[in-house]
Amino acid sequence: MSWIREGELNLLEKISANILMAGPMPKHVAFIMDGNRRFARKKKLERHDGHMQGFNKLAETLRWCKHLNIPEVTVYAFSIENFKRSKEEVDGLLDLARQKFERLLEEQENLEKHGVCIRVLGDLNMLPLDLQQVIAKAVVMTKNHNKCFLNVCFAYTSRYEITNAVREMAWGVEQGLIKASDVSEALLSECLYSNNSPNPDLLIRTSGEVRLSDFLLWQTSHSCLVFQSVLWPEYSFWNLCEAIVQYQLNHKSIQKARELHREEQALQQLEADCACIAEHLQHQGNGKPADAQRRQEALQHYTVTREERVQDFLQALKHKRDTFFTNLCSETVLT
Amino acid sequence: MALLYGLIWRLLLALVRIKRATVSWLRVRLRTWKGRFWQRTMAALLLPVPVSEFKQKKAGADQSSDSDRDGKGAGSRRSRWISDGISLEKLPVHIGLVVAEEELSYTDIANMVVWCMAVGVSYVSVYDHHGIFQKNNSWLQEEIVRQQHNLLGGDDSTFNMELLKNGTDKPQHFVVSCRPVVKVLSPEDGKHSIVQAARKLCHSVEKKEWSSKDISVSMLDVLLRESKNIPDPELVVKFGPVNSTLGFLPWHIRLTEFVSLPSHKNVSYEDLFGSLQRYSACHQRLGQ
Repeated sequence: MSWIREGELNLLEKISANILMAGPMPKHVAFIMDGNRRFARKKKLERHDGHMQGFNKLAETLRWCKHLNIPEVTVYAFSIENFKRSKEEVDGLLDLARQKFERLLEEQENLEKHGVCIRVLGDLNMLPLDLQQVIAKAVVMTKNHNKCFLNVCFAYTSRYEITNAVREMAWGVEQGLIKASDVSEALLSECLYSNNSPNPDLLIRTSGEVRLSDFLLWQTSHSCLVFQSVLWPEYSFWNLCEAIVQYQLNHKSIQKARELHREEQALQQLEADCACIAEHLQHQGNGKPADAQRRQEALQHYTVTREERVQDFLQALKHKRDTFFTNLCSETVLT
Repeated sequence: MALLYGLIWRLLLALVRIKRATVSWLRVRLRTWKGRFWQRTMAALLLPVPVSEFKQKKAGADQSSDSDRDGKGAGSRRSRWISDGISLEKLPVHIGLVVAEEELSYTDIANMVVWCMAVGVSYVSVYDHHGIFQKNNSWLQEEIVRQQHNLLGGDDSTFNMELLKNGTDKPQHFVVSCRPVVKVLSPEDGKHSIVQAARKLCHSVEKKEWSSKDISVSMLDVLLRESKNIPDPELVVKFGPVNSTLGFLPWHIRLTEFVSLPSHKNVSYEDLFGSLQRYSACHQRLGQ
């Protein structure tokens, strides 16, 4: 079945959507699509069918998000922890992914028409090479689309993602692109797999579990969390509306908290810059304390050069990541 | 048309807020109104609307409604709480109390800390995203000691808490601490700590002590726990209407169960025990 579902909302759904859209809407929603296996048990199906239904529900949810003007969706498709499952189930899931990504490649025109950009986030080198290649083709094929964005977390855990971001910054230091003192919260965020997306406004987990299971821990620190007891394959438009209402109720307080955090971040950056300046002036100085004006000028100059350094590093990182995908694509051509 | 939708939206949100306030009010009332008849009637009246907050009340918690107030004293309370803890299939080692409310009540938080430890939890952390508890750390500590006396009697030796201040812990590599620990946390212990650990690793790479390829999840984890040895919280009880972790220990909460209570003000032992029961009943598959 297709990734893109056509079709309008029915009258009642349309009216409800319009009512909701009168209030603040999330720009980025993340889903932990939990409950496929429990659904299969409940309906006396094979586990594999449960996962298939789960995928169909994903396609339907994307259609609802499009009608609700939610441009970005991130989903937790496969955790690194899921490799612990039986070989049969893991192979089944990887096969399903293979099928679905290959299907995606066939829908190139449709994806272009709707402007869908697919990104896959995770430690992709843990996956079989052929799956990596199919994923790379899908990502490269859609990378310039910009109407809506689907981020699929595959072979992903948040701790691996954060560690990878630290590794990238360390690589930047090794290459002489940045200094260790340039490491900041903002820079770490830019080095995550999700650096092209704003933080999720709303995180929804289905099936009644009330934990994050190592998903987007950094990015959802100030997101609205909604735990719903419905199993993922049974998710309905009304469940989504319920979650959005929760988001709208929490909107003001979360915005305030985000603002407070941003201010603290800016203050920490300023303190870090001042500390670097102080050290620098001490080395340069002749024992006399530098006057306020000189400190101010030095601070401004330092901030500008730091930001330039960081931009160059981020460009190099982007190039490294793009090359990873294009190399995988060209390997497919050769084989 | 847009105006009409706007009006209906405002009405919808107002209705949801009223429902929340009513349920919250009834929760408190039900605790004082004895008799299953009243409980059933109220639950029936609210049936069309999800009443998830009532599900936490199980048989065990109902029995203990008023024994806090009868004259049996600290001794019997303590033994009741200990037996409550033993009755649970599993007890969290670390409970996080995350207060997402504007006004803070030190007495209520202190009560919860004492209850947590009386039931057998060895590590309790207290968090608010303004960092107010941390700024007033000593005030909170005094309040905890005061409530410990009130609720558990003056026998200090049974219950010695380590009230850790903000800042680095002394290294405790081979010391097994038998005393419950209370930690007051703020957003600085969250992302900021991760950034500091990252900076340290990058400094080591700068000095060519490590290569970037050496950096692993366990390395970062160990570094994070070196300065502040906070175990991962198995359970976070969040107080207040805001559905967010508000920056609480992002690295540590990967497998944490979240239970929400409407407010920390006038919270009862039953509310807390209900959260512990909910945690005890949950089943973590850990990816499998």
